[in-house]
Amino acid sequence: MEDKSISKHLPLTEATYYILLALVTPKHGYAVMQKAEEISQGTLRLAPGTIYGAFTTLEENKLISMVGKVGRRKMFQISEMGIRVLLGQIQRMEIMLQSVGKNFDFWQQVSAEEEKEEYD
Amino acid sequence: MANQGLHLVAVPIPGNYQFRDGESANYVYRLDYQSLKTKDKDSYLQLFADAVWVHIGEMAGWVYFRFKVTNGEAPEIYSDLESKIGKYQRVMLYLVIFLPIILLQINNLSAADRYGPFFMILQGLTALLMFLNFFGMIQLFIRIKKLKKTNYAKLHRTDPEM
Repeated sequence: MEDKSISKHLPLTEATYYILLALVTPKHGYAVMQKAEEISQGTLRLAPGTIYGAFTTLEENKLISMVGKVGRRKMFQISEMGIRVLLGQIQRMEIMLQSVGKNFDFWQQVSAEEEKEEYD
Repeated sequence: MANQGLHLVAVPIPGNYQFRDGESANYVYRLDYQSLKTKDKDSYLQLFADAVWVHIGEMAGWVYFRFKVTNGEAPEIYSDLESKIGKYQRVMLYLVIFLPIILLQINNLSAADRYGPFFMILQGLTALLMFLNFFGMIQLFIRIKKLKKTNYAKLHRTDPEM
């Protein structure tokens, strides 16, 4: 289904996913922190050590590249390979969402739980 | 100590910490472990500075940071499990590399024909180093294992370990 060079990076962790998404336009580390928190609607708050490590690993794996330096801050941007990996991840997440959409048993269970709570 | 008004100012020499008197403040101190190349160092430090961590100093790969707590929540340097484990694994790697050197030195010392007090002290120190190294490795191993077993629901991970 997927190209091996893409699928070996999947699934992405939440942090990696949002970092790659944030790097569609060039940014430095702190800007990625802010953007990731914004687009994740507050569910992901990145700490500096995590970002530094992620940048190092992603650069090694050629999913991002350094595009310049502004003062002391290194600017990174997602690479072509990185975009393909992101698309692969999005595909997977779509399948995940569809799996619960079609799962009648699950929704039946959920509404049964909700009804129970009303009677408590 | 920061609550008592003493603040860590510098770490000039290994084992030597300098404090300065000041007003009582709620600081949190955290240590990172990195082997930074010169070209990476300034952007690394700038990233922490942007995130409002104050860089105090470094010693033997350990980088000292301080954060002023205002909200009651003490922040961490690492926000996800993987990168946190990575730090401890880096420390572990350093100990693992250092171990053969210590063992070799023990071997050299025991092969020496002299028995004077100087050599006994040297042997003692090397043996101590070896025990500290092993002790450190065991502690790290336990810490990493414990982190890996952490409840996944609490952390930012979408995939369970295979």
